[in-house]
Amino acid sequence: MTAEIGQAAIFLSVLSGLWAIGFLCIGLRTRNQNAVRSGRNAVVATFILVSIATGALIYGFVTDDFSMRYVVEVSSAAQPLLYKITALWGRMSGSLLFWLWLLTVAGVIVVWQNHRHTKETSDTLSDYALIPMAVVQLFFIILVTGIIEGVYNPLERFPNGQMAPDGAGMNPLLQTPSMAFHPPTLYIGWISLTVPFAFAVGALASGRIGSDWILRSRRWTLFSWIILTIGITLGGNWAYRELGWGGYWAWDPVENASFMPWLLCTAYLHSVMIQEKRNMLKLWNILLVTLAFQFTLLGTFITRSGIISSVHAFAQSDIGGYFLGFILVSTTGVIGLIIYRWKRLKSANRLESLLSRESAFILNNWLLVGLTLIILWGTLWPIISEAINGQKSSVPEAFFNQIVIIPGLLLLFLTGAGPIISWKKITANNFQRMFLLPLAIGLASGGLTWGFLALKGTTSALYSVLCVSVGVFVIAAISAEFYRGAKLRAKRQNTSFLNGLNLLIQRNKRRYGGYIIHIGIVILYIGIMGSKGYFLLESKSLRMGESMEVGQFQLTMKDSFEKEFENYRRTGVVFDVAKNGKQIGTMEPARHFYYKTGQGEQDTIESAIRHFGVNDFYIALGSIPPNVKTGGVVNVQAYYNPLIGVVWIGVAVMVLGGIVAIAEKSEHNNDS
Amino acid sequence: MQKQRRLKVIAAGIILLCGIALLVIVGIKRTSVRHFTPAVLVVDGDRMDNQQVQVDGLIAEGSSKWDAVNFKLTFAVQDRETAATVNVIYKDRLKPDNFTDGGSVFVEGKYDAAQNLIVASKLMTKCASKYEGAESATPTDETSYISE
Repeated sequence: MTAEIGQAAIFLSVLSGLWAIGFLCIGLRTRNQNAVRSGRNAVVATFILVSIATGALIYGFVTDDFSMRYVVEVSSAAQPLLYKITALWGRMSGSLLFWLWLLTVAGVIVVWQNHRHTKETSDTLSDYALIPMAVVQLFFIILVTGIIEGVYNPLERFPNGQMAPDGAGMNPLLQTPSMAFHPPTLYIGWISLTVPFAFAVGALASGRIGSDWILRSRRWTLFSWIILTIGITLGGNWAYRELGWGGYWAWDPVENASFMPWLLCTAYLHSVMIQEKRNMLKLWNILLVTLAFQFTLLGTFITRSGIISSVHAFAQSDIGGYFLGFILVSTTGVIGLIIYRWKRLKSANRLESLLSRESAFILNNWLLVGLTLIILWGTLWPIISEAINGQKSSVPEAFFNQIVIIPGLLLLFLTGAGPIISWKKITANNFQRMFLLPLAIGLASGGLTWGFLALKGTTSALYSVLCVSVGVFVIAAISAEFYRGAKLRAKRQNTSFLNGLNLLIQRNKRRYGGYIIHIGIVILYIGIMGSKGYFLLESKSLRMGESMEVGQFQLTMKDSFEKEFENYRRTGVVFDVAKNGKQIGTMEPARHFYYKTGQGEQDTIESAIRHFGVNDFYIALGSIPPNVKTGGVVNVQAYYNPLIGVVWIGVAVMVLGGIVAIAEKSEHNNDS
Repeated sequence: MQKQRRLKVIAAGIILLCGIALLVIVGIKRTSVRHFTPAVLVVDGDRMDNQQVQVDGLIAEGSSKWDAVNFKLTFAVQDRETAATVNVIYKDRLKPDNFTDGGSVFVEGKYDAAQNLIVASKLMTKCASKYEGAESATPTDETSYISE
């Protein structure tokens, strides 16, 4: 019965979605407050209806209703409760419903924020923004109704009262907490980007193209950025720990699909500051936020249409076509509105010099958008190459790894130069006071790095030297900013330096939160440099008692073990690990053999990871023969991943900076 | 003055754009790998001798052999439509999860036309049930159901 209620709710939400769009349009056009209010209520109604449908599906999971097709596909009776619930986004139909539900949550929050806001001023911007939100919702509602071929309604039952004895269950690889929370984190990040996009469209439609729409959606954008940062990292961290290939990022199409909106969101977070401060880039901001939103949909198109092969191996289905169609239609709509409002989009100010903070921001935007296009080009290369000369080609990881270095280093330089260069035009005084010392420190540390690497016998370390010099320059520049500001505050308020620092950040959370993010970026770069540039990999076939060497580490296989668990068997070997000949402990990499998953037997790598400060030693095994104790051979792959811990630390600092920045209230804006 | 500045901005933009385009072109030229089905590669083989190729197909039934002592995997990729096969050797890397005869496989490596052999540097397996099965599957496809 619950499934039928859920299905009915989905079909009713088609009506409430149409109602919201219709009444908001008419009400805003004719200035009829009652119609507008009715439209807002319809947005709330959509939320309630979609919540009922989502609740019904979760109920189906929890009660093991195996007459429901979706439940059978992703859940099973033996699945732990947590994974029964996270099965909601285990596959396409359910994840579309979940995406839709999050969209309706965002819609309700916008209504609520507007309600709070309009108590003080009368204002229609948020109501205008609700229209594009409702349109996006309606698109997803139609997808989950199941009336479109290729996607079925997640609440659908098997025909003729059929029922499965048990469900197929979720893949064991996905039954880990970080995999349970990685997809919804990304979804939340993508969906939050819908709100600034909706406000941009609302601003165009209402003609209020000042900075209001940006201020009103600022926290949404930052929230989206923070959540995407976390979501992307969770995915990388999961891959690192579970997949046994020793890496965390492989430029897979699906990874790229999550990374491109992040880059565009980062660009947008910067360019809005130019509009707020200098009243420039109005058109660019609207285009950028539209692009960022469209890329969240494009990601789904790329991964679900089957046009690109990916390790994520999603099903090929028609849904990609619908996403592409929606992207084209909505982009056309935005372009139409831009043409309609063309005159009001002219900038009041112009760039005064190429060496100014404005220019630094603009260069940052060009680089970020450029990087996005490079990654898009590489991701779509199989299709593009086939279209150009009829021969399908694709680019390997190396393409991306090489191509991001130069734009990446320029961007890194800007994270330090942007905050210290003066507005309008750089002066000799500004350069001397702000740049000289950080530049000198940066160059000096670059020299030291070069010497250190040369001593260790590393040649061709140009990029590492550059990365360190630029990174240290950024840290020095930003620390100096903190130092000067804090000292000034402390002097003015007649208090200690630390108090001054605290006051400084409290008074301008957005700015200093941003600087903390910049420091996080430097840390992240250093981690990437170490773990991508200097990792070691050794493979060897070992018998009991035999050893292998990886850099300074020696591994000796000394024992094997086998253990039965509820739905899998764990077999592995014990290694004695020595560093430079000195015994430092044991490591126990293993394999898990799942035989009760409902998906057939599955043999997975369970790598062993040992942290040495920020460096990791990582061992993965091939399958273990039954005669391992009596001369059977085990295949061992061992990695040394220097500075990989720094990657996670860098991201943590970035997230911390984001949290500081988001704490600032949207209304006031006191960048000094 | 104003006009001159504008020109400067446009010039800077063009330089940046050209730089990015150059990076992409050089990058693609240097790394792009051509994609084949086994049937096409076998016919076209001589032209691709000693070059990087990608092949997409099925792991031929009964062809895969894992030599643990030498840390070596050998198998044949079969075309999805014809009987054409290409031999593959994959050394010093662990066998990917889900590697079973008959399954889908994606191989990247250097092609040796004389031996019809790819020395693989990258191997990817796809298992329909791993992350996402075909959504259009009918309910009776994979699991057996009882009727009420």
